[in-house]
Order: sequence, then C-alpha cells, then structure tokens
Amino acid sequence: MATPSRSLRPLGPLKQALRRCRAERQQQRRHASTEALYPSLQPRYPPPSPGFRPSQAIKQNRFEEGMRKIPVIPPPRSTIKACRDPIQAVTQSQLTVLDPNGARTRLFAPSNPDRAQPGDILHVRLRNGEPFSGVCLSIRQRHQPIDTAILLRNQLTRIGVEMWFKVYSPNVEAIEVVQRKEKRARRANLYYMRQSRHDVGSVEGVVRGWLRQKSGGNVRVKGRDANSSKKKNNKRGRN
Amino acid sequence: MSTKGIARLFQRPPRFLCPSVSRQFVRTLKSIHPGKNSSRFNHGHNLPILGSSHTAAFLRKEPMLPLRTGALAIKKGMTGVYDPETCRRVPCTVLQLDRCQVISHKRRDTHGYWAVQVGSGTKEARNVSRPERGHFAAQEVPLKEHVVEFRVKDEEGLPGVGSIITADLFKEGQFVDTRAVTRGMGFAGGMKRWGFSGQPASHGTSLTHRAMGSAGPSQGSGSRVLPGKKMAGRMGGEMHTVQNLKVVKVDAENGIVVVHGAVPGPKNSMVKIQDAIKKPWPEVDAAVGLMMPEGMPTRLAAEV
Repeated sequence: MATPSRSLRPLGPLKQALRRCRAERQQQRRHASTEALYPSLQPRYPPPSPGFRPSQAIKQNRFEEGMRKIPVIPPPRSTIKACRDPIQAVTQSQLTVLDPNGARTRLFAPSNPDRAQPGDILHVRLRNGEPFSGVCLSIRQRHQPIDTAILLRNQLTRIGVEMWFKVYSPNVEAIEVVQRKEKRARRANLYYMRQSRHDVGSVEGVVRGWLRQKSGGNVRVKGRDANSSKKKNNKRGRN
Repeated sequence: MSTKGIARLFQRPPRFLCPSVSRQFVRTLKSIHPGKNSSRFNHGHNLPILGSSHTAAFLRKEPMLPLRTGALAIKKGMTGVYDPETCRRVPCTVLQLDRCQVISHKRRDTHGYWAVQVGSGTKEARNVSRPERGHFAAQEVPLKEHVVEFRVKDEEGLPGVGSIITADLFKEGQFVDTRAVTRGMGFAGGMKRWGFSGQPASHGTSLTHRAMGSAGPSQGSGSRVLPGKKMAGRMGGEMHTVQNLKVVKVDAENGIVVVHGAVPGPKNSMVKIQDAIKKPWPEVDAAVGLMMPEGMPTRLAAEV
C-alpha cells in the first residue's frame, strides 16, 4: 500500500502524536493510581484501638442489634447429664440382682489372678437340669459384662459335646474350677482342641475325683492335668 | 295466596328499585321457583364425603390413633436383660429421654387434626432462627433441638403445654411402637435392597451374578416398566416403624426406657415411642409421666 503524500493529509502526523499522548497518559494513570482503581486494596476500617479484643467484638456485633428481644426460657434438668451411660446403668442394676456378692464377676475379672481361664476344667451347676463340666475352650465377653459366656467341651458317651453357658444367667447356679491348666494357654480360644489329636476326651474322671474330694472322701489322683489322661485314651486305640 | 307466599314474594325488592337486574320478559317455571342450588357444581353440606379427601382420611385413621402422647428418646445401644422367672436373656434396646417437653398442640378446628408437638434436647439461642425462637417464646417453653408431633385421638390426649414427659409415661410390660429413621445404605442393588435372588454363581452364568434380572414382560404386556417396580437405588435413611415392642424396664430418674428387640437407626439417633396401636391401650392414669415444671403457669389444654 502506497503511503499517502504529505500534501494530501497535512494533519496526519498531528493525529498520530495526539494518539501517542493519550496512550501515555492512560499508562501513567494506571501506574500512579492503583489504589484509586482497586478500592479493595485500601484499608476499610481504621486500625483497632489498643484495648480491642476481636472475640468480644464478634460476640457483641453478631446478635441482632436493635431488634426486639425474644425471651428464652432456660431448659429443665437434663437426664442425659444425670446418667451419661444408660446402658451401664441398666447393666449394673441387673448385676446387683443376678450377682449380688460379685462372685461371678470376680471369677472372670481380668484383674483377678485366680480367674478362670481357657483350658481350665469347669463345673457348671444348673438350677433346672443336670450339671455340666468340661474344658473351657473360650470365654466370650461382648459389649456388656452381662453377656459374658463360656464354652465348655466334654465327651459324653464318646461323643464330643460343647455347651455355651451365660455366666450371669439365673439358670446357672454356680461355676466352679475343677482343675487348672498346668501352663497358661497361649490362645484365647482353644478351638484346636476340637481336633482329634488335641482333644482331651472326657473329663468325667477328673470331675468325679474332685467331687469325692469335695465331699471329704479319699483322694484318688488319676492325673495332674486333663491332658495327662489323653495318652491313656490314645492307647485304648480310640484315635 | 297464603301469608307465606306473600312473604316470599316480597323477599326481593321490586324490580323498579334495582334497575341493574335484567328483567325477564318470558316467565318460565325456573323464574317462578328459583332453585336453592344454583351452582352447576355438585357441592353442598349434605353430600357424602369423598374417599380421597382429608376428612375421609381423618375419619379412617381416627379409630387407630393412640389416646395419649408419646415420647421422643435417644437410642443409646443394645444390651441383654435376664428374665428372672423364665431365666431367658432377651435382647433389648436402651432408649433415653432428654428434656422431653410438650411444646404446643395441633387442634382439629385450627389445624385439621389432634396432635401433641413434643420437643427434646436443647439448643443455644444463637443457633436458632428468630421465627423458631418466636414459636417457642409464644408457648413459653425452652428451645428444643428436635421437634416432632404425636397424633392423638381427641382433645383429652393433649397434655398441658410445657409439661415434661418422663420415662414413666410407659409402664413395664406394655407394648409400644417405635419410629426412627433407618441407617442410610447409599445406592444399593436389588439383592440387598429388595432381597432379589440374583443369578447362579456357575452353570454358565457370566458376569451376571447380582443383577436385577428382567424389569417386566415385553410386547403384549405393554412393553413398559410398571410404576413402582423394585429396582436398585437409594436404600435406608427413611422413617421406619417397628410395632409391638415390649417395655422391659423403665427408670424415670435417669429417663431410661428399655424395650425388647431392635429399634431402627444408628446409636444416638432420635426415636419416637408411642403406645402400640395393635395392642390394648395400657391402663394408666392420664397424668402419669407428665410433670409440670415449677414456676411454670399451669395452662389447661382448653386455654391454649
């Protein structure tokens, strides 16, 4: 495109100069007056006085100034504060009835060194029904102490029998330790005793001896442990 | 003409006094005996109630509604209780009442039904909106965290506003209905949500073991999915009622109500307890379990 001759457009350079001038002025304004252009950058409030506490100020200013106050009636006594753990309360009231002298709790309390443990031979007397004795395989303590239960294993007529007993059930009259395990069991649940090579077999002989001793008869010790009778059983060719 | 007929003649002013009324030049039978019901719509006082109306719904529900209010409790968890006679352990849910109080009434003449508005817990005033605080202040009761309504049969079932509902509202041995919002399960498939059988694990089944299956028959039956078809979707998180739970134990001092069996919802959720509608109503005094706090003006239900 050919440049137009000077004679044709005498005011051409003047116009260009004016345009540059305007652009410069705008640029200058932009740099000089940033604060004027952006009010958000300016401090909105004067600096706080020396004794100013923000938390106080928030509390005071937050709540409905100048509106009619609505009265608030104080709440009544809270039962939740009176009884924080109602399940515990229900359980305790149960325990005072079911276990008045605390013998059952003590028999399975972790703080008691003489407590019944898995592997011990226990004898359970029932209010209605035959007494049952067997090796304790497991002690189940669920959400509440009231749900404590024991699993006993024995052999009746050469058939393995397992029975769960609720420790605090009113049907259970007494739980007695017939014989302790020589060494503390290294499992909480002795389910391996269900296998034939670990099965102790019937504990009837041990329990009978213990009953005789209890009633004051002559003591006939067959074996020190429930496990000691195992070998004999094995020799009989049961396994 | 009898005096009655003359009176009827002069019931309306003469026509020349009200020229805006268009004069009928042709005297017809209708103009001589204007009908009582001039509307072409079938409405009036002596018509039978429609089955789908509010009135019909109220009358249908009325015989089943409990005579007295229920209580709003918090589910605390489950435990077992031994029955000393049968020596049996029964699984129980422990519920606790916390500052359960009557807030206001719903009246048949004003609101269309009889109900007791009951609140429980407490809330800080700054966390309650002004309209809500106004409602509580108008009834002169403290602020409540949870507010529900208990439908009752008639006006006699409305206890005084402000009376505190205690746990001995319920008697040991009576039956109650419990209502609560169930646990939200999220988006669940048809097997979990509706108990569908799914497909076999083997015998040629490929990649389709827990699918819903067919959603309905094809051409001939409309080629469409019928409304209400059970499908996968959001499960739980909705109000559920468990009826006829026996009250095993009541401790008014600590606000404890122990009911036999399970109650919907997770722990620390709100549970509505009310007399079971499918059992005979418990024989209790009307004032039992309702304590008016001291310093509170005793207002009868009729005054409110």
